[in-house]
Amino acid sequence: MVNTEVDLGFLKLKNPIITASGTFGYGLEFKDLIDLNLLGGIVLKGIYNNEREGNEPPRIYESSSGILNSVGLPGIGKVKLKDVIKELSELTSTPIIVNVCGEEYSEYVEVAGFFDDDKNVDALELNISCPNVHEGGKCPAQDKEHTFRLVKEIKDKVKKPVIVKLSPNVCDISEIAQSAERAGADAISLVNTFLGIAIDVKRKGFVFKNIVAGYSGPAIKPLALKLVWEVVNTVDIPVIGIGGITSGEDVLEFIYAGAHAVQIGSINLVEPSAGKRILNELSDLMQSLKIKKLEEVRGIVNKNLYE
Amino acid sequence: MIDEKVKIEENIKINENFFLLRFTSEYISQKAKPGNFLMLRISKGNDPFLRRPFSIFYTDGKNVSIYYKVVGRGTKILSQMHSGEEIDVLGPLGNSFPEIEDKKVLLIAGGIGIVPIYFFISKFSSLNEIYLSYGASNSRELNFVSEIEGSGIKELFLYTDDGSEGKKGFVTSDIKKIIEEKEIKYTFSCGPTPMIKTLFKEVGNTETFNFVSLESRMGCGFGACNTCVVKTKKGYRKVCVDGPVFRMEDIEW
Repeated sequence: MVNTEVDLGFLKLKNPIITASGTFGYGLEFKDLIDLNLLGGIVLKGIYNNEREGNEPPRIYESSSGILNSVGLPGIGKVKLKDVIKELSELTSTPIIVNVCGEEYSEYVEVAGFFDDDKNVDALELNISCPNVHEGGKCPAQDKEHTFRLVKEIKDKVKKPVIVKLSPNVCDISEIAQSAERAGADAISLVNTFLGIAIDVKRKGFVFKNIVAGYSGPAIKPLALKLVWEVVNTVDIPVIGIGGITSGEDVLEFIYAGAHAVQIGSINLVEPSAGKRILNELSDLMQSLKIKKLEEVRGIVNKNLYE
Repeated sequence: MIDEKVKIEENIKINENFFLLRFTSEYISQKAKPGNFLMLRISKGNDPFLRRPFSIFYTDGKNVSIYYKVVGRGTKILSQMHSGEEIDVLGPLGNSFPEIEDKKVLLIAGGIGIVPIYFFISKFSSLNEIYLSYGASNSRELNFVSEIEGSGIKELFLYTDDGSEGKKGFVTSDIKKIIEEKEIKYTFSCGPTPMIKTLFKEVGNTETFNFVSLESRMGCGFGACNTCVVKTKKGYRKVCVDGPVFRMEDIEW
């Protein structure tokens, strides 16, 4: 039997497979479709202080092996989420991670603080890719100083472990990751969606009202893998790899690149029990490759490169 | 709701771009209600990535049928699948039309919008006095007419844009007259958006209870991705779990 456990330092997971924010609802939507206890962790849909409506449809568009979305982070607000988390935690012992959003620093801090004493919450993930009122509407993820200030402010106020989720839409992702680490982040997760556009040939216009949307799915896997590898090489805190993972082999690739764990996203929408299949595939693969613990092979591509 | 692998029993061309697919699933066949839909995984790999939503056409306790039109890449691939091939099916999903009895109902279907309407007729025609207005652009798109005629409904009104079958004109043209003459209490409809918008103008200020089955671009089909929303008087609602059947008056047209 192989051991799929991973230790993030601040949190031990049964296995490295975590469901990604925005692709797993509030968890409850999946309760009849997958045994939630099989998952390594669950990251909930991003949450703001108050209820939000989200973007005007259309909100989704398919491209080869991927999807563009312009959902716009609708949600039930932090107060209602607390009740949902209670209900979810009664159904499963799997760690629950709250994805924290904000339109300004104070909102991020308020949302993070609201869950700080919630015993049902195991960690916070900061979605620093939300458009913000600071720095001329840019999202914190686009600027190293901006990222540092936001992460620092949250780390100064909350006790819960903080995972900072990075955007791939930057020139130098390593410097953003370093800023987050310097500001006290407990882990880095990456990548959020790549920016893309879709054009409607018949209408001769853009598909989405906001023009630009977020691209995810299997198509982005090699791009995400490269960025994860870059970040692993520049920070000492654990890295959680995200981007187009749909198989056990994909998971192992991210671990080989140096990730401690992974998040599975778009595949949850297509195959709600994907986490279970991917875990089985990972176990089988570890067995056939004679890997007893994931730690043995984490970052192995680098070691093999220099040997 | 169940996520299962089923074997295609038949996938036959009705004509041109219209197909009828049947598979066996006792669970779905016994649980499905008129208005419910299924998410079918068209690809065995990652492309096309998303499942496709299909309204349920007919069930008999053992089999499930969907009647679909080829409109894009996903339905094109589906139309080329053969009996014996396996396919992932998630369902039944969404809500359904009200389960009414002893009522005078007018059903309005445009083109492929006949699917949930046909399912309703098959389950509820013996319990209600049913009238159906069914229209399409031409006779080749106006399928299953003889089955509907034999289904025990009270009266059928047919329309085609080109006059090739039934009356020449839109399915919505005589709605007000039918409602008044037949003393209709309920309308259930499904069809293209322009048809539904016209219909709402016709029935919006009558005394009838009006329910419409909507379609939308979907991601997951079970409420997780928040992409298939429709604007209602109470804000955005998910077509997949809050619908696909809505009170017509609740939608911001």
